[in-house]
Amino acid sequence: MIGSKSVVEKKQKYTVFTIEECPVCGQKTKREFQTGDYITKDGAKCTKCGNQTRISLIYAETTKPPK
Amino acid sequence: MPVDIDPNGIVGKIDHVVTTRDDRVRQEVGTIVGDKNPVTVSVSENLLEAATALNTIHKIVRHFYLLGKKTNSYFMLVQLQMLMPMIIQEADALVSAVDTFKLAQPLGDGIGAVIASRFMVGREKQTIARDTVLAVNEYKGRKLYVVKAEGPMAYVGQPGVGIRHVIEEMGVKPSAIIMIDAALKLEGEKTGEIAEGVGAAIGGIGVEKYQIEEVAAKHKIPIYAVLVKQSILEAITAMRKEIAEASDKVMTLLNRVIEEKTKEGDNVLIAGIGNTLGVSQ
Ligand SMILES: [Zn+2]
Repeated sequence: MIGSKSVVEKKQKYTVFTIEECPVCGQKTKREFQTGDYITKDGAKCTKCGNQTRISLIYAETTKPPK
Repeated sequence: MPVDIDPNGIVGKIDHVVTTRDDRVRQEVGTIVGDKNPVTVSVSENLLEAATALNTIHKIVRHFYLLGKKTNSYFMLVQLQMLMPMIIQEADALVSAVDTFKLAQPLGDGIGAVIASRFMVGREKQTIARDTVLAVNEYKGRKLYVVKAEGPMAYVGQPGVGIRHVIEEMGVKPSAIIMIDAALKLEGEKTGEIAEGVGAAIGGIGVEKYQIEEVAAKHKIPIYAVLVKQSILEAITAMRKEIAEASDKVMTLLNRVIEEKTKEGDNVLIAGIGNTLGVSQ
């Protein structure tokens, strides 16, 4: 019989990251996603030049490389 | 759904029915959730939609299973068995979508909104249709009218009504409409691959696509499309890295399209299509 299990078991684990980008010097910081984050929201101060960073991307990445 | 024996004017009727339904769902969900936060309400609306879709799948599968048993139809059961992997895949995508919605993370489908938001940051925004906002920006002497659904709520907005509003009510004469959207990839195609084409790039039941084509044809405005490929699962779950990283390439392509297809002093209408959950402007 054609099993439908194989489809489900291949599921990969993903972790969601938030990228904060400094609009002045372009420095990008990657950290784990926190509830309430959204793209264009103000992030922390830039560690390089002290300017206000902005969340530019939020994406999911595989935690373990697929076999 | 409206009667379609006489199809003349049916899009308007479908639009009317769908808008009434959406209003009703939003109002009822708002009452049940009892939260004034528009993000929470919009997320709950989407969760309800996912639950409804799962329930429909369950009911249809059960119907054919029981009907096959009742009528002793081995073939009906075999057909159902053969379709099960695909059905499970779709149901699985819906279940995964629930987690993304609950956390209000941007979806793969939100790539159009991400691109549009880059042009809108720090600009003055105005509402031009239900859940739809417009901002004006400039690029190499062109005036850009950028449209997207209002984020970070889980809205898709009404880009059809919005585009018509810009052209007919605001009197803007764009020399091109450029639409950015997620597109369903075929098996074997790579996630995050970019495709360029012409025509209104928008899914759904067809109302928005019709409205955009109508207004574009009437005013003879060419429509260009930039698409980012992804699977159905990727479109309704947290945006994958491959899709997010395509955004820089999309920006480059978009700038090239603007430079090639329009002249300095022209107006260009850019529409970022898709669910804008977790993507503000
Ligand atoms: Zn900086």
